[in-house]
Amino acid sequence: MVKRVSQLRKLRWALSFLEKEMSYNYTPLSSAMYKTYQFTPAPINKIFQECSQYLTEKSGVTGNEALTKALRKVAPSLELYPEDIDLILASSNQLGMSDIYEQKKLFNLLQENLKIQEEKAQNDLNSNQKLWSYGGFILGSIIVILLI
Amino acid sequence: MEFSNSIVTREVIPYFSPVIKSLLSNAPSSLFNNLEEIRLRINNPLILKVGEDDFTITKNGEVTRDVNRGYLVTSEDIYRLIASISDNSLYAFSEEIRRGFITVPGGHRVGLAGQVLVENYDVKNITNFSGICFRIAKEVRDCSLTLYKKICNKEGQVNNTLIISPPRCGKTTILRDLARLLATGNRAINPKNVVVVDERSELAGSYIGVPQLDVGIRTDVLDACPKALGMIMAIRSLSPQVIITDEIGSLADIEAINECINAGVAVIGSVHALNLEEVRARPLLAKLINSKAFKLGIILSRKNGPGTIEDIVRWEG
Repeated sequence: MVKRVSQLRKLRWALSFLEKEMSYNYTPLSSAMYKTYQFTPAPINKIFQECSQYLTEKSGVTGNEALTKALRKVAPSLELYPEDIDLILASSNQLGMSDIYEQKKLFNLLQENLKIQEEKAQNDLNSNQKLWSYGGFILGSIIVILLI
Repeated sequence: MEFSNSIVTREVIPYFSPVIKSLLSNAPSSLFNNLEEIRLRINNPLILKVGEDDFTITKNGEVTRDVNRGYLVTSEDIYRLIASISDNSLYAFSEEIRRGFITVPGGHRVGLAGQVLVENYDVKNITNFSGICFRIAKEVRDCSLTLYKKICNKEGQVNNTLIISPPRCGKTTILRDLARLLATGNRAINPKNVVVVDERSELAGSYIGVPQLDVGIRTDVLDACPKALGMIMAIRSLSPQVIITDEIGSLADIEAINECINAGVAVIGSVHALNLEEVRARPLLAKLINSKAFKLGIILSRKNGPGTIEDIVRWEG
């Protein structure tokens, strides 16, 4: 669960980098994906590497299809939940295929959604940690009572 | 004006959606000789404009002139074509989209139709694409050889020349070839420094600023640059001997042409018109002709195929 929080955070950083690459440098999607792969730590960077590869092959896939294929392929090696993956795919339907203002909106939505997921994951993590510490306290108390 | 059909196979077909790609790939390659345009309109048949004729391909792959039997283009075909020509990056082509077309490697021009968003009478964007005109760029080497000899005088100087032509008569192809020939020169005529002011990216077919078609070794291209602005910029910075530009017509264009001519730079331009009378009916162009700025008028037609020289008019100054 610690890893999930960390991966969601890294994914948000990576998407922020991708957005800047697209909106400030007007880098085509395949190159922007490759640059994001180089900037992002493993294992999250694999998503962008795969996506860039699909787009560079120019086999007729759209940006959204390339991202879908990449996420489906890389997801088993990540700690992300299926709901995280679905949320990214649902928000990136028009990836690359509109003007820069629309693309910014798409990334804003993605960031907002992932932030909510990250906060939920963090809360789950905190309550688990609390559960463990309470559990430890209760177990300790039981042992002490038994010993008395 | 036949050209290699391998250009279509190599540079054009790969952009299309899988369904249309398959239909085009399985069509006889002879269909692509003289192919000028591929038209896609949502819910309408796929149309291939070959010379004067329209062809289509049925969903079973049969090539026919009966366009009503053609494969009906879907919105997905259009979406996928736009995705591939823009490298899935429409945001990077906003300027091109505002102008209504995207030029792809090879110099082919992809015209876009759809919902046009306008702000202050200026096109802001095109969305919800509904039609595409894939116009195949043609390079016909030496097609302007006859003209080249006529527009250069005995001293090898270039006469200011106006090419008058209706659409689809080979005007752009001829201007491009003239640029190449003038920049190359021959035994009798010294090569010239040429600047092509290519407002619509048609002459040089530039992709990301780099000409995709051969416009000559001494030719500079101002791509996507407004004609009047480009002509003045060229005089100031590129020391041209000849400026070539397409489809002149505005007052600013005419003032810039006069500026060039007064600066000793020869101008070769073109206008859309059927004949000289049509040109004279347009006040600005009539004034330009009467000012004797141009020495030569070349009238083109399609009588014997694109690029037929219908008439040559000399205006003595």
